[in-house]
Amino acid sequence: MKPFAWRGNIDFFSGVLLSGIAIFALFYIRTLEIGTVLQMGSGYFPLGLALILLGMGLVLIVKGVLSGGPEVGAIHLRPLFFVLLSFALFGVLVERTGLICAILVQVIVAHFGSRETRLLESLVLAAVLAAASSVLFVWILKIPVSLLP
Amino acid sequence: MIDVFASLAHGFAVAATPVNLLFCLIGVVCGTLIGVLPGLGPVATISLLLPVTFALNPISAIIMLAGIYYGAQYGGSTTAILVNIPGESTSVVTAVDGYKMAQQGRAGEALAVAAIGSFIAGCIGTLVIAVAGPPLALMTQKFASPDYFSLMVLGLVSAVVLANGSMFQAIAMIFLGLLLGMVGMDINTGQPRMTLGLIELSDGINFVALVMGLFGIAEVIANLEQVSARVVNHSRIISIWPSMKVLRGVWASVMRGTFIGTIFGILPGGGATIAAFSAYAVEKRVAKDPSRFGNGAVEGVAGPESANNAAAQTSFVPLLTMGIPTSATMALMIGALTLHGIAPGPMVISRQPDLFWGLIASMFIGNLMLVIINLPMIGIWVKLLAVPYRLLYLIILVICAIGVYSVNNSSFDIYMTVGFTLLGYILRKLNAEPAPLLMGFVLGPMLEENFRRSLITAHGNAMVFFERPISLVLLIMSVALLLSIAVPSIVRWRGEVFKET
Repeated sequence: MKPFAWRGNIDFFSGVLLSGIAIFALFYIRTLEIGTVLQMGSGYFPLGLALILLGMGLVLIVKGVLSGGPEVGAIHLRPLFFVLLSFALFGVLVERTGLICAILVQVIVAHFGSRETRLLESLVLAAVLAAASSVLFVWILKIPVSLLP
Repeated sequence: MIDVFASLAHGFAVAATPVNLLFCLIGVVCGTLIGVLPGLGPVATISLLLPVTFALNPISAIIMLAGIYYGAQYGGSTTAILVNIPGESTSVVTAVDGYKMAQQGRAGEALAVAAIGSFIAGCIGTLVIAVAGPPLALMTQKFASPDYFSLMVLGLVSAVVLANGSMFQAIAMIFLGLLLGMVGMDINTGQPRMTLGLIELSDGINFVALVMGLFGIAEVIANLEQVSARVVNHSRIISIWPSMKVLRGVWASVMRGTFIGTIFGILPGGGATIAAFSAYAVEKRVAKDPSRFGNGAVEGVAGPESANNAAAQTSFVPLLTMGIPTSATMALMIGALTLHGIAPGPMVISRQPDLFWGLIASMFIGNLMLVIINLPMIGIWVKLLAVPYRLLYLIILVICAIGVYSVNNSSFDIYMTVGFTLLGYILRKLNAEPAPLLMGFVLGPMLEENFRRSLITAHGNAMVFFERPISLVLLIMSVALLLSIAVPSIVRWRGEVFKET
């Protein structure tokens, strides 16, 4: 039996994730009507699913603790953080400042997600993308969104 | 048979309208494009272009989306042969002998054989849909709700077979997907479920946000974590026309590949990738001199390339006749049809003959277009590889953001995408594949509906699933499929298949 390791343990963390989601779901299913087999309420099927998921999550936790499991891959926070931030900012800005501004901000923030990008290149691309999207999506495909604030 | 040809003629009338021809062309060009570019698969691209299709009528939309899928099979082989980078997982095995051929100065021959094999396989696969579709749909119309429930169980089990890595994890992913599919209004009582009190969630989790996050953007982040591979000088193409002698030699391989692909495409748990690997194994086995394989055997290109194209076409059979997906891409097609107000299932052929036959006819046209845009214009596609990823990912992100936003014109969907991207990223790190999750998500509501309806009509007797012959057979098939994955020799074979991808 291998000693329990925090770092390399795919099974353990999968189990934690799945049981966590299941418990979160159960918290909301609690208020639903469960009913019986004959008179199934809206909570019957979700309750079954959540309980199975919880069970599988717990099995994975036990398996992870007992056997160690394979290692979790290296996590790089830089691309994850900047890509997610750029996306969220697009969501915040698109209705407040219009599409053009949202695209410019998104591209510039996403630019920092990679070590290989070049600032000037990304700036030009941001401008081109803003212009092209305005023409294609707003003008031709008529997506109802304002371009400017 | 006469019926089939009359219907096909009608289909061609639908598909050959200028609008549908245009969208078929756009679809296959986009497909070739993403096929050539590694790191952007059909699942992400179809979800990307899904919002764009809202402005179209459903027929044009589905013609275009289907074109992306089978077009990607053509594009993937181009880069596999020329630069040893398989654009799609279905072309991994093509790279083995195809790239060797290119190094020997036979790149043109390999490309031509791949394109011609794909064309023949694509046409035969499409013919199979036309011939097998209507009788299968007629059979499915006899299905009652317990049979449907079991059919969906079979569909979900097939997702486990397709998944890479741990079987237990794949099953857990299905349940997670099913649970996510429950979010929103309960169809029977109208009660909101697990909506966290948010109005935005009362219609359920936005399908596009889920797919884009789990597949599209999580993929971009994963790609950014690696140092981008530089494409060094690729092989020159001398002539793209193979000699008659070569064509006569690969004829049998193309036919074998087509046969294998056709079967794997229809079967649950099949799919284009496994079809390509199996075709390669078969070619190696029947060859008089197996040692040529790995050193530029033309059969090693012809077999798998025909198989992946045939499978790409015939995987539409279960979708259009029974309404169940056999792969993540087909799950996406279900989502696309539903968003356009068409319920996939046995009624599609009789109620939407324009859609069914138009789609089939467009597949013949699309395959022809692909041969034309792939062979003479090969140089343009190869040049595309020169676009560096540091520019490409920015473009992908912007299109994804606009795509998600435009589904409901809501920023909430963008925030949901952020959440699902994070989930997709974590799952990737935990070696869990998102494909079974997507299958569960798509099939979840239908599974529940049929489960509830079955038990109500059977007065709460759960034995109803085992008493109806159709349902029983489907459940036995599901169990057999699950057991077959657990058999050691298949476990090893699966391991080998996925190790190379």
